[in-house]
Amino acid sequence: MLAGGPTLLVFVHSDCPTSALALRHLAAAEGAPTRAVIVAEEPPEEAARLARRTGIRSAVLSQEPPYELSRAHAVEAVPTAVVVDGGGVATETVVGWDRAAYERLLGVSLPDRGPATKPGCGSRTVEPPAEGGLDELEDMFERGFTDGLPVIPPTRERVDAMLGGRDPARSLGPVPPSQGEATLGRVAACAVLAGCRPEYFPVVVASVEAALEPVFNAHGVAVTTQPAGVAVIVSGPARERLALNSGMGALGPGTRANMTIGRALRLVLTLTGGALPGRLDRSTLGSPLKLGLCIAEDEERSPWESFHVERGFDRDASTVTVLAADAPLSVSDHRSRTPEALARVLAHAAGAQWSPFWWPMDDYSLFVVCPEHAAMFASAGWSKARLREAIFESATRPAGELKRGEATPLVRSSADDAPIHKWTDPERILLLVAGGEAGRFSAVLGPCDGMGTRPITKEVRWST
Amino acid sequence: MEYVSPFDEAVLEATPLAPRPESLAGRTVALLDITKNRGAPFLDRVEERLRARGAETFRISKETFSRPAAPEVIEEIALRGDLVVEGLAD
Repeated sequence: MLAGGPTLLVFVHSDCPTSALALRHLAAAEGAPTRAVIVAEEPPEEAARLARRTGIRSAVLSQEPPYELSRAHAVEAVPTAVVVDGGGVATETVVGWDRAAYERLLGVSLPDRGPATKPGCGSRTVEPPAEGGLDELEDMFERGFTDGLPVIPPTRERVDAMLGGRDPARSLGPVPPSQGEATLGRVAACAVLAGCRPEYFPVVVASVEAALEPVFNAHGVAVTTQPAGVAVIVSGPARERLALNSGMGALGPGTRANMTIGRALRLVLTLTGGALPGRLDRSTLGSPLKLGLCIAEDEERSPWESFHVERGFDRDASTVTVLAADAPLSVSDHRSRTPEALARVLAHAAGAQWSPFWWPMDDYSLFVVCPEHAAMFASAGWSKARLREAIFESATRPAGELKRGEATPLVRSSADDAPIHKWTDPERILLLVAGGEAGRFSAVLGPCDGMGTRPITKEVRWST
Repeated sequence: MEYVSPFDEAVLEATPLAPRPESLAGRTVALLDITKNRGAPFLDRVEERLRARGAETFRISKETFSRPAAPEVIEEIALRGDLVVEGLAD
């Protein structure tokens, strides 16, 4: 490295403003008669980031504890510039920033920016050891590895366990809006952060694959001012295998698998994808759904074919469906005595979602039908298709009633007595059974509008 | 302690702003309509004001506001324009 004449070794680290000042000047002096070699007291990733931040294009050397090169040159402050001759012998040392000295050593004039001299900062060699310093969990917040709640630190050991032998470099694709690559290593880091157990990882991977399908439009869903989050719907044997809760409190807290799988996907979108609330995520209000939600279907109590079978998968398959949606709206109905009456109540609740007069919508609403409500439809012999059609037909109003506030072009151009549906098609209505045995509370997750987003279903692959 | 970062460091660095021009005279401004409601009348007015200040203008649209601009749209703006004004929201 040192062959061919004197070299200027410049020791720096990324917590030191004087180091950054020196590096920005050195960035303007690349090609000087005396070659400068930057030695960062940082791990490689941080050294590269420091170089990018200060405009350095040449190679930067990384050194990690115990900082042998710094110690060999008795570096106690940064920046320190050491002139090393062709034989590797140090001939001169400059501590701190001194523009005139750097100009002399490099043999170039440097831009006259900032102070001509500035004291440096302590070298990492003189810092006290990290033990006893920043708490490990607090450190996660410092690094931004969070959705605002505490996380599990993604140590190499934990991430390796999550990967279970899978290749950490394999990419599932770039994640909008920042286009960070969703390598399996990063997805596993998010799964660890979220609190997943390793056996959940195939479901997390399938959810990321689904969310990255172009028709899901993760970009639009991430950056919109509307509050949409992403619901993860799990159907098939994965529910039992991972002990997902599809019964009492199915949309609420209390079960690790439900809470952490939805959160893991959310962390991939937020951290790897850069959809940070208040930055590229421009949601006016946001919603609790943006923390993540994983809903499991109660296939045993459902009178209908499974959600994944309805979507074209084998009965034995486990699937993950991602749906951009609003937070659940609870619909109480303890009084209806006919399926028609109950369908009407569900339809009316959903009709007010997004905006009460914005009809029709070419977007999806997910009805989570509680077991008691499902039993009423089942005892009347209603199929899913029949219920879907009944909800669709019940959510119909004359255009004249909808011509106020936020109204669609179709409503504005229709005769007052023209019937308008809430949805463009009954197929925009998704039905899923979940919830406790007792209590007649169903729920509907309202649509994410205008993004052209579609629910995407992927089969869980357990071994790859 | 070594952690596996969920971030892709390669895309984290902010891209610096292009230098601001001192004058609009003789410059070509791309007026990008992302197809949000009432973006066109907004850009009509901006266009009028820019032309009064000596700028050339041309109009271009995204296919939908909800997705990033197509590469051809970005390429055309880069090839033909010195500056760009985007009508962002309704």
